[in-house]
Amino acid sequence: MNRRLPLVALTSAALLLTACASGESSDTPAATTSTSNADKTVTLWLAGGDTPDELRTYLQDTFKAKTGATLAVEEQSWGDLVTKLTTALPDAENTPDVVELGNTQSPTFTNVGAFLDISDQYDALGGDKLLPSFVEAGSVDGKKYALPYYFGSRYLFMRKDVWKEAGVEQPTTLEEFNAAVARITSENPRDIKNFSGFFLGGQDWRNGISWIFANGGELAKKENGQWVSTLSDANSLKGLQQLQEIYRSASKAPSDAKDQSPWLYINDTDQILDENQKPTGKTSLTAATIMAPGWAHWSIGDLVKKDGKDVREWNPKKFGTFVLPGSDGQPAPVFAGGSNIAISAKSQNPELSKELMKIIFSAEYQQKLGGAGLGPANSDYVSSLGDDEFAKALIDSASKSKLTPAAPGWAAVESSMVMEEFFGKIRDAQDLTVLAKEYDAKITPMLNLQ
Amino acid sequence: MSTTPAVGAPPAGRRGAGTPHKDRPTRPVGRRLPLLLILPTLVLLVVALGYPIGWQLVTSFREFGLLQQFGAPPAWVGLDNYRSLVTDPELWQVVVRSLVFCVVTAVLTVLVGGALAILMNALDRLPRLILQVSLLLAWAMPVVASMTVWIWIVDWRRGLLNWLLTRVGVEAAQGHNWLSQPLSFLAVACVIVVWMSVPFVALSIYAGLTQVSAEVIEAATIDGASFLQRLRHIILPLIAPVLSIVILLQLIWDLRVFTQIKVLQDAGSVANETNLLGTYVYQLGTGKGDFGSASAVSVFMLVLTVALSWYYVRSLMKEDS
Amino acid sequence: MRRSRTSRTLLTVLALAVALLWAFPVYWMLNSAFLPNVVLQSTTPTFLPFGGSVDNFRVVVTDPAFVQALAVSLVVTLTTVVAALVVAFLGALAISRFRFRGRASFVVALLLIQMLPAEGLFIAQYKMMSSLGLLNRSLGLAVLYTAAVVPFTIWMLRGFVAGVPADLEEAAMVDGLSRTRAFLKITFPLLAPGLVASGVYAFLQAWNEFTVALVVMTEEQARTLPLWLRGFVQASASRETDWGQVMAASTLVALPVIVFFLIVQGRMSSGLVGGAVKG
Repeated sequence: MNRRLPLVALTSAALLLTACASGESSDTPAATTSTSNADKTVTLWLAGGDTPDELRTYLQDTFKAKTGATLAVEEQSWGDLVTKLTTALPDAENTPDVVELGNTQSPTFTNVGAFLDISDQYDALGGDKLLPSFVEAGSVDGKKYALPYYFGSRYLFMRKDVWKEAGVEQPTTLEEFNAAVARITSENPRDIKNFSGFFLGGQDWRNGISWIFANGGELAKKENGQWVSTLSDANSLKGLQQLQEIYRSASKAPSDAKDQSPWLYINDTDQILDENQKPTGKTSLTAATIMAPGWAHWSIGDLVKKDGKDVREWNPKKFGTFVLPGSDGQPAPVFAGGSNIAISAKSQNPELSKELMKIIFSAEYQQKLGGAGLGPANSDYVSSLGDDEFAKALIDSASKSKLTPAAPGWAAVESSMVMEEFFGKIRDAQDLTVLAKEYDAKITPMLNLQ
Repeated sequence: MSTTPAVGAPPAGRRGAGTPHKDRPTRPVGRRLPLLLILPTLVLLVVALGYPIGWQLVTSFREFGLLQQFGAPPAWVGLDNYRSLVTDPELWQVVVRSLVFCVVTAVLTVLVGGALAILMNALDRLPRLILQVSLLLAWAMPVVASMTVWIWIVDWRRGLLNWLLTRVGVEAAQGHNWLSQPLSFLAVACVIVVWMSVPFVALSIYAGLTQVSAEVIEAATIDGASFLQRLRHIILPLIAPVLSIVILLQLIWDLRVFTQIKVLQDAGSVANETNLLGTYVYQLGTGKGDFGSASAVSVFMLVLTVALSWYYVRSLMKEDS
Repeated sequence: MRRSRTSRTLLTVLALAVALLWAFPVYWMLNSAFLPNVVLQSTTPTFLPFGGSVDNFRVVVTDPAFVQALAVSLVVTLTTVVAALVVAFLGALAISRFRFRGRASFVVALLLIQMLPAEGLFIAQYKMMSSLGLLNRSLGLAVLYTAAVVPFTIWMLRGFVAGVPADLEEAAMVDGLSRTRAFLKITFPLLAPGLVASGVYAFLQAWNEFTVALVVMTEEQARTLPLWLRGFVQASASRETDWGQVMAASTLVALPVIVFFLIVQGRMSSGLVGGAVKG
């Protein structure tokens, strides 16, 4: 929640900046049909609360102005999205017209024919400028169905002070990083119980796969028209071994921890005061480094009072960011988080939906996404993210970022929690090769839809 | 809580008055009347459940995945879904896990609930009222809310349980994760389900106990019967009907437990090692998009439950034929 | 019954301990609802809401989605309670007062329906509601809920109806009352505890259910309270979970149930058993 406040400031600034420019670009042909659309409603499903309210309002206002029709924006929570898409998309009478969905969920729904072919619009919406890996996740046989909405890759947040106390320099290669966080753990400069140099949840595969990618490995590849899981390939295994070392010597995170709220562990204590205003709480700092999506920085920092509310304020002396380095010193390929957006194949308003896509991929809206800290789909507008350290880290980490396999069954792999299960077993695995082979055998049949 | 007979359950003296009516000469209207009376129930059940149950049965004989959900014609595969399920060791693991969980949880619930009912019966008015209200509060708490609190209590880092254990000297409890091992995961789930179900059981059994007349017990006490003797020879036989229905309901409900397990799984743990039948069906269907197999498991689960409660169902049939 | 003073004290202490144990999660919810998030994130628990505030409640109550969900939930739940009581009462009357062909099958069917796992029915339920035009309609959800609670409600009520002697009714009719009036004057009051208990059961089920609602109430303005609460938990889980607000929201969802419970509790626990004893 506390993320909203700064966003308001950011986006209203962006609104002001673009207000002058928006006047001239609304001369689309659709404007002439305004009156006939007045009683029509187009429904847009947004996933989770990532799209700020200001952007939603902008979409609704602009859509009304351009087409005369109403845009209904409905938020679906991430946890229930697959269930809802499965039931609602095939239902012509009740389908949402345009839906946002996770980039890793796109291949599945694209392959079963849930979306409208919008290849004809592709070039007008940005073409080659759109994030290629996301476009691929929404394409079948060269036809485009789901396009990127925004990206947000992950980078590292560190406690500069703790790193310094441990006498460890910021690493420049992946190997250095692995060694550095292990050393900080053993140094444990503040003598904290269960202290992690790098806190990485056992089931946090979305961060963990960076080590597979960074060593040239893949989660799966296509062989003779069939997808095959490749966790036990040599390069993947190399990454998994490094990961096991991290789990054993650098991270004290429980083996079933997921990627939720890791920032709790690098903040100083949330102090408790007794009746005499004397602090009684213990420090809650338990990690020197975490890996998280960029927006986590709103939750990291010193505790200050703002308007009578407790909020976190980033303190550059204490906290820092850096991008996970690869073996070559370049940014490592990390997991590219983000969303795709598509028109339902059963939409009753395909033309109006296409108008909405035009608005979403317009320069104004793309810049607004950037202003809100979300990586814009179109690479021309990445500069709208700004130039603070968070924007830099986001852009750098995204430069090499990779997606999960574009296999039609990938969403099934995710929702069956098999990746969580596999990663949760890495720490205690006697023989990683055996474990990886076991899970290859489990995952391969899920990758291809029957 | 009022126990005055006026508003309580029909006093014992009138009990059984219902049964003689079957011998009553049936009035002409009586022929069609009962059918008219159950008509709303039948219509409702057919409208609300007929299609879904039929769909499930049909789908269990089909290959039905996401492709079919999005319009591809589903193919009939006969018993294939069942065959691949029955030969899948995972299903049997889930079945065994579910059965053990269900029996342990149901038995614990009834034991604790029964003990609380006996306690209530022996209490003075005020403490009894306090106990009853606190049970009601627990019962009234929305599942989403109580699960949030419970997950918090067992949280490895700032959970109350670990804090308490550390306080009393169990150092190993600091940072211990209760959800990561399947066994302790299921133990936590069991405690939560018992906590949620005990109020219903305790209040039901207590209401049954209030109908055991105090004079009978007093007489037995004067005759020198010990507490256990009284329990076994007087109280248990009298509340046997309540007990049996409560046990049956607990078994049915605990076998199909879903929400609590799902929410706990989302909080931690390895889903595939903690699945019970409910979450297994959910994961097959909604998760993997294999609705054919999910339907087959549902049908299998129904058969399993019927088999488990066959004895009770048969005695019902007998009573009525 | 005669009991020594000490054993009575012991029993009271035991009862209070159990009461404390059972109500603790409820207390913890309330306590947390008054505390700011930073205090709740600490590794040391805070047991008393000293220095707390009603800020969390303010945030929740001013959320227009909450008010809307409250309205939907009230409509769905009350419809369910009334419909379930009427339908179930008629059903219970049939099986406890009359012998008829198919009675046994009817009773067994009621039991079987409770054994049906609901987790595989989503798609079919959605399709059905969609083709009936009942998607996102309170009426549609209420129909599904009523069907879900009626079997058990009939079970609860049957013993009650059986326990009301028809002779009394007949005697009243001999005294010149019409059948309807005899029923209203004599039978109905005796049934009240059973109806209250069944009503509470139906209320609780309909108020708290969320998996079916999740599937058939897709629009934001059609959300019930548990869906809203779940959305609230999930929305904040993707960032820093604001436990205080989540708990304040939970408290507000639980409040109507608790109030309803406290009002009818005197009549309830005795009512619970009516059906069961006859079981």
